[in-house]
Amino acid sequence: MTLLARLARFLLGAIFLWASATKVPDMAAFAESVANYRIVPPSLVPVVAATLVGVEIAAGVALILNVWARAAALILAALLAVFTVGLAGALARGIDLACGCFGGTAAATWWTVLRDLVLLAFALGVAASSPRSPAPSPSLAPDPARAP
Amino acid sequence: MTTLAQMALLAAVGSAVGLAANALSPHPSALRQPVLSAAESGGGACAMPASGAASTSAPLPWRPARIGVEEAKGMCTACLAGFVDARGPHEFAHGHIANAVHLPPAGHPDETAVIAQLRTYPLVVVYDGDYSCAVADDVAVRLRRAGLTDVRVLQGAWPAWVAGQGPSAAGICGVCGVEAFGK
Repeated sequence: MTLLARLARFLLGAIFLWASATKVPDMAAFAESVANYRIVPPSLVPVVAATLVGVEIAAGVALILNVWARAAALILAALLAVFTVGLAGALARGIDLACGCFGGTAAATWWTVLRDLVLLAFALGVAASSPRSPAPSPSLAPDPARAP
Repeated sequence: MTTLAQMALLAAVGSAVGLAANALSPHPSALRQPVLSAAESGGGACAMPASGAASTSAPLPWRPARIGVEEAKGMCTACLAGFVDARGPHEFAHGHIANAVHLPPAGHPDETAVIAQLRTYPLVVVYDGDYSCAVADDVAVRLRRAGLTDVRVLQGAWPAWVAGQGPSAAGICGVCGVEAFGK
């Protein structure tokens, strides 16, 4: 893995750890942000909000520690895709909402959608540059010459 | 282990971590209590400047005061206040406070005329549809910078106005006889 790829993996992990760190102090506010997207049933909003934050933490830590980095980057890419579609759908429907992406109450705009798209491309790039799951070691693989 | 299995395991671990983080949060979300969107709840918090979510946003040089729905309704029916709708164009088109002008954060194509119209009122009330009133705060600050002296933000935003059965319209104002400045 090149130095650039390592830096990108570390940066992506740090971004999402930071994003989750801004939400943990006020999980109730983040749940309200999730509710304002109006794509999750109200009864599921608190659990979905808590899960989103936890997945951001787990994936961020995995990326920084380079453990299952490809899987972590793909999870974050999937999350970003959902965020982007949800945000664009809300804006297209004329719903004013706070993004909730990095805490705070700043209103979401089409620039927020563009930022999410850039992050999505970034996450996909990190996933592409991360090695796939290691194949079984040749020493452990069955030796075809000894096969009956 | 395949990448898909790793993703599933990360998601499972993340879910547990998220629930633990929620339990440890100073302001946890009640997991068994449904959370409605601000528009559905009919009572957006629209916190006062000194408390709640609005106080955690970046400090502004001037923070607009709040005005309650009942007081604003009286000012509206007496035509003593100009109302500014800071929501998106679709929500404005679906319904807004009677006589409100549409002035989203992105601006208005004829903003000078809009501000000139607002100057004729002793009080300007800005509202949005968000529970935190963040958008209305931004627009109110802009109007203040444009020279309007008494600019306030509607407490509870549009959901509170609807819940309070304030005069509302879509298009032409039925109260003051003025055409709304919708885009």
